[in-house]
Amino acid sequence: MMATLRAASLRHLLRHPAQLALALIGLTLGVGTIVAVDVATASSQRAFELSLQAINGPATHQITGGPRGIDERRYTQLRRYFRDEFPPRFAPVLAGYVSVGERTMQLIGVDPFAAAELAGGRRAPGTPDLASDDGLRRWFTEPGAVLMSAATADQLGLAINNRFELAVDGVRQRATLVARVADAGAGFDGMLLTDIAQAQEWLGAIGRLSRIDVRLPEGAAGAALLARLRAQLPADLELHGTRAEARETLAMTDAFTTNLKAMSLLALLVGAFLIYGAVSFAVLQRRASIAVLRALGATRGEVLAVLLSEAAVLGLVGASGGVLLGVAIGRGLVGLVSQTINDLYFVVAVNEVSLPVSSVVTAVSAGLATALAAALLPALEVAASAPQLGLARSVLETRAVRLARTLVVVSALLALGAGFMVWVSGRSLLAGFATLFMLLLSVAAVTPAALRVLAQAAARLGAQSPVARLACGDIAASLSRTGVAVAALGMALTAMIGVAIMVESFRESLREWLIQTMRADVYVSAPGPAQGPERRLDPQVIRALLATPAVRDHSESRRVQVASERGALDLNAVKLAPASYAALKFTQADAAHAWPQFARGAILISEPLAWRLALAPHDTLTLTTASGPRSFAVAGVYREYGNDRGEVLMNLGQYQRLWDDDAISGLGIYLAPGVEARRAVGELRAAARGRQALFIRSNADIRALSMRIFERTFLITRVLYWLAAGVAAVGLVSALLAWELERSRELAILRSLGLTPAGTALLVMGQTAFMGIAALLAAIPAGLLTALVLTRVINRRAFGWQIDLHLTPAQFTDALWLALIAALAAGVYPAWRSARAPLASGLREE
Amino acid sequence: MHPVLDRADAHVSCGETVAVTGRSGSGKSTLLNLISGIDRADSGTVEIDGRDVTAMGEPARTLFRRAHIGFVHQFFNLIPTLDVAENVRLVLELNGVRGAQARARSLAALAEVGLGERAHSAVDQLSGGEQQRVAIARALVHRPPVLLADEPTGNLDEQTAGEVLPVLLSLTRARGTTVVVVTHDAAVSRLADRVLELREGQLHEGREPRAGAS
Repeated sequence: MMATLRAASLRHLLRHPAQLALALIGLTLGVGTIVAVDVATASSQRAFELSLQAINGPATHQITGGPRGIDERRYTQLRRYFRDEFPPRFAPVLAGYVSVGERTMQLIGVDPFAAAELAGGRRAPGTPDLASDDGLRRWFTEPGAVLMSAATADQLGLAINNRFELAVDGVRQRATLVARVADAGAGFDGMLLTDIAQAQEWLGAIGRLSRIDVRLPEGAAGAALLARLRAQLPADLELHGTRAEARETLAMTDAFTTNLKAMSLLALLVGAFLIYGAVSFAVLQRRASIAVLRALGATRGEVLAVLLSEAAVLGLVGASGGVLLGVAIGRGLVGLVSQTINDLYFVVAVNEVSLPVSSVVTAVSAGLATALAAALLPALEVAASAPQLGLARSVLETRAVRLARTLVVVSALLALGAGFMVWVSGRSLLAGFATLFMLLLSVAAVTPAALRVLAQAAARLGAQSPVARLACGDIAASLSRTGVAVAALGMALTAMIGVAIMVESFRESLREWLIQTMRADVYVSAPGPAQGPERRLDPQVIRALLATPAVRDHSESRRVQVASERGALDLNAVKLAPASYAALKFTQADAAHAWPQFARGAILISEPLAWRLALAPHDTLTLTTASGPRSFAVAGVYREYGNDRGEVLMNLGQYQRLWDDDAISGLGIYLAPGVEARRAVGELRAAARGRQALFIRSNADIRALSMRIFERTFLITRVLYWLAAGVAAVGLVSALLAWELERSRELAILRSLGLTPAGTALLVMGQTAFMGIAALLAAIPAGLLTALVLTRVINRRAFGWQIDLHLTPAQFTDALWLALIAALAAGVYPAWRSARAPLASGLREE
Repeated sequence: MHPVLDRADAHVSCGETVAVTGRSGSGKSTLLNLISGIDRADSGTVEIDGRDVTAMGEPARTLFRRAHIGFVHQFFNLIPTLDVAENVRLVLELNGVRGAQARARSLAALAEVGLGERAHSAVDQLSGGEQQRVAIARALVHRPPVLLADEPTGNLDEQTAGEVLPVLLSLTRARGTTVVVVTHDAAVSRLADRVLELREGQLHEGREPRAGAS
């Protein structure tokens, strides 16, 4: 590009700093949101991977057992079996969860000698230095000796030799910090390491292991050893590659992270409209200069190159700002994302923020592409215009009207396309999001034409007042400006209404589900992660609890994770009190047939699991029991919102027989008539006191806790949709500001004809408010449609949930406020300016 | 639709200065747009130096205009974000002249119109007369064989017009540039070699040729 053209372009941008700033803000916010979500999810995933690396170390494979783990004699047998010159290396591990104060931490029991052997003779990170006599002596001889990373010790305020309390399965234990591992790396954050014998004692798993880490050499020798090892394993043990295991665990969060990414893309999409508005305004502002260039002999290609280069520079600058902003917002979001992952999936401690290079490249490319795409239309339009000087405004508006009419057809095609996509795409979540975006674009495409019709109708209605007619007529006649602004706002409001309805519908469905499901009056459980096998009630405590006079009846449950042909699955084995049978709402098969089959050994599965594994009644599911794989018939599918991976419900007696595990994780207690839940909770706590610290909570308390977790989960969604809304508001303000400022001469003429300053201000504010309301009117039906797509397509495909639509006026209030505030904010400055501007200079302005 | 120009026919010789007069809306500006290839006639031809402009496609017309035609407008049409010298240099750059040569030639062109001292001023700091002189320098800096001027004095007072016009005509005559100037200004018509009047879409030989014109 020629130097003078480049200079002209750059100076134009710099001469309009407010306009430049608004375009950059839109892009920066859009890209920033994408980067923020990437930073938050990548940091949580990185923390998880580091913790896996820390635990797995150099292991290539893992041997795992059922809920009761592995008998440690198997480990000895394996070591004895391989007497090769280069045998596989084995290291036993017992892992579980403990609480230190309010914090849940992973307890890892290791054998330092085996771990060192696995690590090829080097000291395994996070284990005592075998060359240091003192470290080794204390590790083996001092009861309660633990290690932790220096960072974790600092967070807990612990120094070496400090003694502290930890709770395992609700029982308090004494521990001593014998060493802080300074070079442990971020993977050890939130982890306690102890000797395997100590861990077995604390976790009540004497003689048991969670897994055996295995290191096999690479190549043919490794493959041969792997085949021999597999042949050696009994039916109840499974061998997995460590990478596959990690992938499977991370895959649990896929739907959650896809949802977050889609929300961040929405912010960028809204940002694209803002950039389109800003760039098209910048182009139109210069139509005379561009026409001069064309008259002087600049070709269409040269003009296009100038305008697109300008957009590219804007894109790069905005995207770079977005990356910086994204890292800052991402630091805030990390807490929310990791909290959700901890609430719903697995325990992860995030102390480091990761910004993957791929995220930066993607974000900058997205910013650049958005800016170029937004600039392309106005740039093509101007470059293709004949270079008659000062292309008449009326010509532009005629074209805008023509374009608006074409966009109605485009909108209809997009809507049809969205419907077609839902129909043909089956289970694809990405296609679900594509449908959503097509729907939002369809709304944006129809908005300018709808605004014109609405403004023309309002102008006719206001026929008695020339000023009102002028105000509305102007909106219809300036569609090139007003259409884009209202379309961007309409799209953001649509998304806002859609998300609000979805969240509220979900909340209501969850509330109804909780009422239906939580039949018992009081629930008792051991602290710890939901599916942790170490989470069990002491049998003596169970007896003491059930002997309490307030107890009339009870249900028992054992929650564990079991292996299956389709990966690890959550299993809930239950013995139900008669009143509990009504707790399940069947969505496939009916209770009259399902319960008798359940009693005979069939399983029931929850909706998310049925969706994820594409299972229906009469199908079978193979689970790995203590005696090897066994198929179970599916008797029914029930509604469940408590676990987005879904669960298998099984008869407790059958589970105990097949998995050789008679532990109980929780009780549902029905109280005798007339006994108050609060009083019963006190009595039950008294019965368990001194034996096991348990969660004993009333039905109402658990419902409230579930709703709190729900709110926490959707907090990120809310943060993101407010970001998208913010971008749209800035877009409306910038576009309308530009439009109103451009009309200063027209307003000055009106004042010269006798319109008072107050009347001028009212005219301007009335126009912007009208546009805000027009955007809202377009957004209400579109928002309802969006809510349908979110609940019936996105949520269904992401989690398998079916959500009933609940509508309340409150779902529209956020959108109403945003529309009004954005519209009024856009009107205040031009109204003030036009009311105060000296009339003479206003009339002189060209 | 009523045609703006209908069987408008004229021949302008090389180096000739022709004034086109006519009432407002008679099609004078359209005539210039057709000559320069900005607009395309529904029928008929425009030939410049034996080349049929009307037969060219849009890109070819643009490139032809860039190299062979200079334009002076009533409202100057300078690019506000470029300074005086840059406005002139822009045309050279469009024609492939870059760097020091472009700078030197643009400064020389400005010196010829008496604005060598204002080369780096912003265009909005210049008076109307000065802006029009910049426009003249810009129109002639690449030495086009044809100069088209659309009411070049229409936005200037009589005294300023009296200063600008001689600059325009002396430069074009010295270079042998063919000039077609659309004007209402009798002073401009008087200085032209020939006057054509545009009436009802047709060109008629005018009444007031330049005193002493050959």
